[in-house]
Amino acid sequence: MTAFPYYEDGAMEALNAQAAVLLGLFAERGYARAEPAVLQPASLFLDRSGEEIRRRTFTLTDPSGRELALRPDLTIPICRQAVRAGTKLPARVCYNGLVFRHQPGEPDRPTQFFQAGVELLGLEDRAAGDAEIAVLAVEALRAAGLKDFSLRIGDLALFNALVDALALPANWRGRLKRHFWRPGYVESLLYWLGHGDARAGLPKTRGEIEALIDAQGDAPPAGRTREEVVARALDRAAQAESLRLDPKVADAIAQLLDISGPADAALARITALLKTAGINLDPQLAALDARLKTLAGLGIAPSAVQFTAHFGRNMEYYTGFVFEFWARDREGPVQIAGGGRYDSMMEMLGAKGPVSAIGCALRTERVLAVKGAA
Amino acid sequence: MLTLAIPSKGRLKENCHAWFADRGVTMEQTAGARGYRASFTGFPGIEVMLLSASEIAAALLAGDIHLGITGEDLLREEAPELEGRMSLVQPLGFGFADVVVAVSNYWVDVAAMADLDDVCAAYAARHRRRLRVATKYAQLTRQFFAQSRISDYRIVPSAGATEAAPAAGTAEVIVDITTTGATLRDNGLKVLEDGVILKSQAQLAASLTAEWDGEARAACRALLDRLGCDYPRLAALLPG
Repeated sequence: MTAFPYYEDGAMEALNAQAAVLLGLFAERGYARAEPAVLQPASLFLDRSGEEIRRRTFTLTDPSGRELALRPDLTIPICRQAVRAGTKLPARVCYNGLVFRHQPGEPDRPTQFFQAGVELLGLEDRAAGDAEIAVLAVEALRAAGLKDFSLRIGDLALFNALVDALALPANWRGRLKRHFWRPGYVESLLYWLGHGDARAGLPKTRGEIEALIDAQGDAPPAGRTREEVVARALDRAAQAESLRLDPKVADAIAQLLDISGPADAALARITALLKTAGINLDPQLAALDARLKTLAGLGIAPSAVQFTAHFGRNMEYYTGFVFEFWARDREGPVQIAGGGRYDSMMEMLGAKGPVSAIGCALRTERVLAVKGAA
Repeated sequence: MLTLAIPSKGRLKENCHAWFADRGVTMEQTAGARGYRASFTGFPGIEVMLLSASEIAAALLAGDIHLGITGEDLLREEAPELEGRMSLVQPLGFGFADVVVAVSNYWVDVAAMADLDDVCAAYAARHRRRLRVATKYAQLTRQFFAQSRISDYRIVPSAGATEAAPAAGTAEVIVDITTTGATLRDNGLKVLEDGVILKSQAQLAASLTAEWDGEARAACRALLDRLGCDYPRLAALLPG
């Protein structure tokens, strides 16, 4: 592998031929081709994504001083265009193009690679959207000529719904949701929940808090408003004493996070754990079951699908169903496609409220390499 | 020839001279080198270069020099993973500074990194923008914020006077060095309880990527022995 790929000896022809097959399939399913610019305003990625994406995004300054970025994905520019243009929803968009990513600590991995993918924006029936994209991803890999690949799935909505069902203050629920995918950390959060928050030494009334703020001098000109500070201080003061989680429930969550294995067995185990904890997540479990049935309809048995409860979001914006396809090239296992639901993205980009959104992208160079290794 | 770089100006330079002199090593300026070259009396195999503190960190990382004295903060910022690239040979007992996370006193509800996590996430969700962290230490900040499980923020590179960024409205949080905390206090800022990223001081550091031939090793051993530093420990890390 090299950081700076050089395509020769028919490599581009092979990639283009494969892309034509994929784009043909997407078009047949009603997906319209889009081609966002390679150079984008840096703020588009840096303000909307976490520092993890920023770390992997190439940024530059143009001669006039404007901050630009080489697109690290096509999803964000496509969503922004849909918001800006007021595109009629649901919208189906497909693409094939280069993305650019710095690979921290791995100087020999390619800094650019091709992705072909689809985005399904604004389809209210989320189960139908999940199924449409999962089916299309499988069909795309098969159209590209792959027969053997494995599938790993997860669901951020499941954990979020679980946390929402707990009797906890909103900021603690937010904290658990943000961090659930980080092994170890959620367990320590659960521990704190059992032992209270020792650091809250704030006054308890609005008057006292406002007096404390006024004693600090001028307000900073940017950032959080005075009301945001007051509201959070009041919340914290109120929570300091009351914060407790039933150890049985905390245990059930920790065990649930640990689940990883064939999806049919995982589903049964989750159902049992939720019963123990006295939490009803039937709609989420039904959604998971429906996805497995969809995959079974494509000839992928639930026992062949790996479900990992803490499988989340290395792109930091997924909100629900997530999936990865894996295969082997000459050097070992590689991820050849991935995607998921990202229902908060359109709102982050300026839409008036949350918009249902799900997509997937194929790593087309890897797909070719896997075929070459077979 | 062994090359060793020491800071070319300021208190770090003076402290370095004193530290060597205390151990019986005196420095002579090389004639005609405009004050950028020097040598140690009695150590003909060592060339001393006077560079800026941040150039020394970069030169160690690049393997352009064998040994260098600079702040640990700069070394760790230049090379977040020191292993295999640099070795800290000896802390020198001067140039003390803490790299810390600080926010406005106005944020009465924020005392620890966990609070900052809450606030960053709530702000991003509410305003569709990230809170900004002004710093010269982008690498250290990323690493520490990742350890603290904070992702909803954005680093704003700072060229100087980082402590003024919150009052100027160009950032809400800063990561900067402090010795007494007076500058931060004067700017209405407070350090978070668990917001000390690094307790830094001047370090004698060795590059593990430089060309360590027999001559350089011999000169290094002679110097470190005189200075009372542990050469065998360094020798075990050197390549080849």
